[in-house]
Amino acid sequence: MKKIRILILTGCAIALLIRCNKADEFPDDGYDSRLSGGAATVFDATSKAFTHAVDGLSARDLQFHEVGDAAFEQSFVSAPAIVHGGLGPVFNNVSCISCHHNDGKGTPTAGFNNSSLLIRVSLPGEDGNGAPLSIPGVGFQLQDQSVFSSTPEAHVNITYSDVPVTYPDGTIVTLRKPTYTLTNPYFPLPAVYNTSPRMAPPVFGLGLLQAIPESTILSFADENDADGDGISGKPNYIYDTLSHVKALGKFGLKANTIDISHQVAFAYQQDIGITNYIAPRENCDGQKQDDGLKDDPELPDSILNAVAFYVKSLAVPARRNVTDPDVKAGEQLFTQITCAKCHIPTIQTGVDLTLPQISNQRIHPYTDLLLHDMGDDLADGRPDFLASGSEWRTMPLWGIGLFPKTNGIAYYLHDGRARSIEEAILWHGGEAEKAKNNFMNLSKPDRDKLLKFLNSL
Amino acid sequence: MKHRITTIFIATIFFADCHKADTTTPDTFPATEQTVLNDFTDHVAIAQYSNLTTAALDLNAKINALNVDATDANLNAAQTSWKNLRTVWEQCEGFLFGPVEDNEYDPQMDTWPTDANQFDSLLASNNNLELADIQLLPYNLRGFHPVEYLIFGENGSKKASDLTARQKKYMVSATMDIVNICNSLYASWTEPPTDFEAQVKTAANGSTVYSTKQEVFMAIVGAMQGIAEEVGDGKMKEPFDARDPKIVESPYSGNSTFDFKNNITGLQTVYLGRNGSTGITNLVSLRNKSLDNTIRSQITAAINSFDNITEPYEQAIIDQRSQVQQTMNAVNTLNETIEEQLVPFIQQQVKD
Repeated sequence: MKKIRILILTGCAIALLIRCNKADEFPDDGYDSRLSGGAATVFDATSKAFTHAVDGLSARDLQFHEVGDAAFEQSFVSAPAIVHGGLGPVFNNVSCISCHHNDGKGTPTAGFNNSSLLIRVSLPGEDGNGAPLSIPGVGFQLQDQSVFSSTPEAHVNITYSDVPVTYPDGTIVTLRKPTYTLTNPYFPLPAVYNTSPRMAPPVFGLGLLQAIPESTILSFADENDADGDGISGKPNYIYDTLSHVKALGKFGLKANTIDISHQVAFAYQQDIGITNYIAPRENCDGQKQDDGLKDDPELPDSILNAVAFYVKSLAVPARRNVTDPDVKAGEQLFTQITCAKCHIPTIQTGVDLTLPQISNQRIHPYTDLLLHDMGDDLADGRPDFLASGSEWRTMPLWGIGLFPKTNGIAYYLHDGRARSIEEAILWHGGEAEKAKNNFMNLSKPDRDKLLKFLNSL
Repeated sequence: MKHRITTIFIATIFFADCHKADTTTPDTFPATEQTVLNDFTDHVAIAQYSNLTTAALDLNAKINALNVDATDANLNAAQTSWKNLRTVWEQCEGFLFGPVEDNEYDPQMDTWPTDANQFDSLLASNNNLELADIQLLPYNLRGFHPVEYLIFGENGSKKASDLTARQKKYMVSATMDIVNICNSLYASWTEPPTDFEAQVKTAANGSTVYSTKQEVFMAIVGAMQGIAEEVGDGKMKEPFDARDPKIVESPYSGNSTFDFKNNITGLQTVYLGRNGSTGITNLVSLRNKSLDNTIRSQITAAINSFDNITEPYEQAIIDQRSQVQQTMNAVNTLNETIEEQLVPFIQQQVKD
C-alpha cells in the first residue's frame, strides 16, 4: 500500500512538473527561428510590417531615418516649384512609395498612378564598360509618364495569356504569361532592341544584405558548376560611374547595382526624373524632351543620404508560426527539394560601423545575391553587365508571406506575373527546373506544407 | 488517516496546478474583443465613411451651385463645405488601414502638394475636363487640394468673380470624382467583392485577411500609432523645423491646424468608440486600468493643446513656436505610449 501511495505521489509530482512547464520549443541550434533579421527584426505582421526602423537607433539616427521616411513618401511636382519640384519631365511615377507600396512590392501595371512596373530597354550589345547600350532618344529605361508639356516616351500595354500546368497528381494550376507591347513612341524606336520588365521590389532589410561580406557571397558562387549539381551562381560586376571601377552588384533584379545609395539615386533619377549628386543628369539628358533647366541636382544631397539611410535601416519582419509542425516539415522539404541551394536560408553579416544593429547578425534572407539562369519562360533576353538574358538575381524570400498584407493583392516574381507563391514556384526553370519538378512531384499535403513554410517567412 | 492525508495532498497538487484560481466573475475579455471589433466596424469605420460620402456630395452640390451662380455667398458655402469634408476625412485618417490604403483611395483624394505648373497648364489648355478626364489625371491634380487652391486662392483671398469657366468646369468634375472615390471607399467596407466589414468582424473566424484577432487589433492600434507619428513627427514637425510656411499641408484654406486636430480626434474615436459604442479602451481597461487612464488623458491633452495654437499654422510656426512645440510634444508622448505600451498590450493580451 505504501508503495502504491509512493507511486501515486510520484506520478502526481511528474504530472505537476509536466503540466506546469509547457515544453519550450527551442530549436536545436539554440537560435530563435523567428528572427529573420537577427537583431534587426521587428514583430509586426500587419500591412506596415516592412516599414519599421531597426530597434535601438540613436536619437540622431532616428531623426535621419524619419527624414528619409518622409522623403520616401513625398510626391514630386513639375519644376519650377516652390516645394518638391523637379518631376520628370518624363518619369515612371511621382514618389518612391508610389511604386514600393508600404515599402513592399506594388502593382504590375505601367503608366498609371499606382503602377510599380517599368521597362528597361537597350540596343543589342554592350558599351566599353560592359553596360547595356542605351537607345538614342530614349535611354536605357522607358519613362511612360510625363508632365503636361512633354510626351511619355511610349505606352506599355500588358496582356496575359493562360498557361495551364498539370501536376503529376492531376491538379491543374493556370499561370498567366505576360506580353509587353510598346505603343505610341514619341521617338521612332530602332528595328531591334531589348526590353526587360521590372517590378519594384521590397526595400526592407537592404542594410543587412549590404552588410553581407563580398567574400561570403563569392563563396556561394559556382559559375562553372564545378560541383555538378546543375546550379551555378554567378556574381555580377558593375562599372561604377562615380568611382570608375567595377564592383560586385548586390541590388537590383539582375544584381546590377553596387549599393543602396546607387539604388536610391538611380531610382530618383530614372523613375521620377529627380537628379542628384550620384545621378546628376536628367533621365532624358541630351534628348528632345530635356527640360533645359539649370536646376540640377534637384535633390538635396542630405535628402538622398537620408533616404538611403532610411532604406538601410528598415527592419525585417519576424517569422510567424515557426513551431507549427507543418511549417517545420515544409522547411525540411524546402531543403530536401533543393530550393535552399540558391535561396540560402542563413547568412552571417559582416560589420557596418555606422549601424551596429545590422552588424554581425545571423540572418535568414533566403538568397545568395547571385545570378542564376531561370529558363526561357522567365528570360527577358536583355543582358545587363554579366547577367545574361535569362539570368536573374535570387530574390530574397524574407517577408514573402506578408505580401498579401502589405499589398492588398500580392504579386510575385520580377514582373508580378505570379499571383501566388505556388505560381511563382511553377514559373521556375533553367537551373531551378529540377527544384520545381521536385516540388511538382510532392504529394498535395507536402506541397501545402512547403507553401505554409514559405508563408511563415 | 494516512489515506486522507495522501488524498488531500493529491488534491492539493491538482488544485495548485497551473490553473489560476477560479474567480467569481467570468473573463469577459474574449467577448469584449468581438464587441469592440463589431463596434469599430459599424460605429467608427463604416459610419465615418458614410459621413464622408455625405460630406463629399454636399461639396459637389455647393460647387454646382457656385458654377450656376458665382456669388461670394455661394463661394463661402463651398469653402465651408470643403472644410466640413476635410473634418470627416482627417478623422477617418485615424484608421488608415484596409481598402483605403490597399486601393489607394487616400492618395487619390489627398496627395500633396498640388502640381501648380501642370494645373495651370491643364486649365489653360483645351483638354476636356469631364469626370472621365479628371479620373485619368495624376493624383496631384485630383482630390481635395486642387479644389482648395481654386476656391480659397492664395492666402484665402479668392472672390467668386475670379473664377474662370474652366476652373468651374474643373471643380464640378473634380468634386464628382471625390464623391465617386468616397462611394467606392464606403462600398469597399460594405459590399462584395471586398466587403471589409466581414473581414474585420470575422477575424480568427473565417476572415481571409485576419487569421487571428490579434492581427486585426494590431492593424487598428498600428493605424492609431501611424497617425500620431505622422502628425507629431511629420505634418507639424517638417514645416516647424524648416520655419517654412510653404510646406504646410492645407495652406490655401488655413485649415492645417484643424486637419491635425481632427487626425487626433479620429484616433480618439477609435480608442473611445463613437456615439456610445465600445472602443479599444474597453479592452485595455479590463486588464490594465492604469494604461487606459494614461492613454485617455494623453489623448485629451493632445487634442486640447491644439487650441493654444490660435494663428493659422503657416503663421504659428513663426509666431507661436512654443505653443506648436508643446502640441507636438503632447502628440509625440501619446505616440510613444501607443508604441511602447498599447501595442505590447495587444500582443500580450489578445491571444486568439
